[in-house]
Amino acid sequence: MSLESFNKLVKLTARAFYDDITAKGDNQPKSGRSDNRGIAVVVLDALTRRQWVREEDLAKDLKLHLKQLRRTLRFFEEEKLVTRDHRKETAKGAKAYSAAVAATADSLPGREGEEKIKLHTHSYCCLDYAQIHDVVRYRLHRMRKKLKDELDNKNTVQEYVCPKCGKRYNALDAIRLISFEDDGFHCESCNTELVAESDKLASQDIGDGDDNARRRRREKLRDLLQKLEVELKPLTDILHRVKDLEAPDYGTLQAWELRASAVARASNSDPNANDSSRSGMSGTPMPFLGETKIEVAFSGVEEKEIKAESAPLKQLPPWMIKEGMNLTNEQRGVVMQESNADGTSLSMDDQKDEKKLINQEVDDKKKLQEEYFKAYYEALLQQQRAQEATNIKEDPSIDNFPTDADPSNSRKRQREDDEEGDVEWEEETPAPVETFKVDLNVEAAEPSGDDEDDDGIDWEEG
Amino acid sequence: MFFHIVLERNMQLHPRHFGRELREKLVSKLMKDVEGTCSGRHGFVVAITGIEDIGKGIIRDGTGFVTFPVKYLCVVFRPFKGEILEATVTMVNKMGFFAEAGPVQIFVSNHVKIQKDSEVRLKIIGTRVNATEIFCIGTIKDDFLGVISDPAGS
Ligand SMILES: [Zn+2]
Repeated sequence: MSLESFNKLVKLTARAFYDDITAKGDNQPKSGRSDNRGIAVVVLDALTRRQWVREEDLAKDLKLHLKQLRRTLRFFEEEKLVTRDHRKETAKGAKAYSAAVAATADSLPGREGEEKIKLHTHSYCCLDYAQIHDVVRYRLHRMRKKLKDELDNKNTVQEYVCPKCGKRYNALDAIRLISFEDDGFHCESCNTELVAESDKLASQDIGDGDDNARRRRREKLRDLLQKLEVELKPLTDILHRVKDLEAPDYGTLQAWELRASAVARASNSDPNANDSSRSGMSGTPMPFLGETKIEVAFSGVEEKEIKAESAPLKQLPPWMIKEGMNLTNEQRGVVMQESNADGTSLSMDDQKDEKKLINQEVDDKKKLQEEYFKAYYEALLQQQRAQEATNIKEDPSIDNFPTDADPSNSRKRQREDDEEGDVEWEEETPAPVETFKVDLNVEAAEPSGDDEDDDGIDWEEG
Repeated sequence: MFFHIVLERNMQLHPRHFGRELREKLVSKLMKDVEGTCSGRHGFVVAITGIEDIGKGIIRDGTGFVTFPVKYLCVVFRPFKGEILEATVTMVNKMGFFAEAGPVQIFVSNHVKIQKDSEVRLKIIGTRVNATEIFCIGTIKDDFLGVISDPAGS
């Protein structure tokens, strides 16, 4: 249910932050032919279509060198987007995975050649959605904070650099740096006058402390901050959407395999494949009881609704529908288009729209007369309800209740909803956002760190 | 921030002070030695407010000096990161300005349009502490911070 939204998050993240990552070591020179920028995006995209995947298989699927793929995956592991698992396995263990794949993936072809493998270390990888969510949010937070702090000149320790020998100082050294000749700051090693290090992001020209340079820098920072908000809007939107959703979690590799093979056992009764796979996993076969499912029945309206509708898709009560959930109209309840996505609006505009829609139906010549009457009665009903709604405005749920008396009529309107509603849930993948380089690790190098150390003296002990 | 704490120090006294005024001599020497000093650990010793205890003296071989362990009460001043202080500007250069709040020196970068001797309210954003000195950097970019009185005005 939330998988789609989270996958979109991954894809946007890949394009926003990892577009120009190369899988190359830094020492190797970049040549046109070996330039593999964009590989990170391809790998992440591929992972959104898989669960746990053996890295050899992924490399084969993507027609990449295993080494190159591994380097990319290692990078993503460090970036906390991907979890990996390595294990030594025999042919049996490999088979367990293959069986699991056969059970879960509808797209991946089964592999027969794996039985030959003796005892190899195999690596598997999988997206860690929950962590990706946190990492992306943290990254955006750091970007904004860095820019805003710099914009406000808040809590930033000014740095100084010697133009001659390159030695760096910061404001905490100020007292040592004053020269008695001209009150300026001088290098301790070579006595050259220091220059204030203008910030790396904002400008190339060394700000020599005059107001003009500072103003230009501020403008640049403000531009940058604005650009960040605009260009990363798709990302912040999707983050907002998945905020309350539960992240897909495939568990550890072993748990995933167990689950997958249990599903396989349930669906096809081929005892051989499952036995071998389970014994490959562990010595004693464990009874797997399937996924634990807990259903909580709330007393009251919702329960009645669920009972009344025995269709495979249950209508979700309005309080369960959150922004960003991908639901069918059945689940949303038939009157979905009358309510806003958050399901709480009770404005008169909604009801006007509703009436307009009914008028359209009435005007439609192709409609049977019978339906015309039905619609007419419904309009009447609606009007009554509108009056009721104005009387009891306090109750937010009233707008979401299915009200159609005739189910056939409501189905028809659903279908219309489907056609129109599609637009709302399908968003185009936006053009790759211009990359925005902020080194998240910069803080560690910031001088504020070293004054932290200085502060480390314990005062209470005295 | 100010603290009223008990500190201890071993005082060495020359034999010529032995006599009726020994205690007074000891205290005045303590004040002379300690007040105005700075230790990274406790901050600046502003004033000694009382003597808690003077222990038994030990006579040093050869010199005749006597060492007394003295416990004394004193007020110390220790600046903290995030603390708001009022300070007097002592020097302005093209990198910023220096100010003093009592014994502590604070450097504020990037503000050059400030007159010497004006009073500013600033926030400490960093401290550098070593065994014998404390140096701070501050900012005046925050709500209610900045120049609070010009030298011309007063
Ligand atoms: Zn130098």
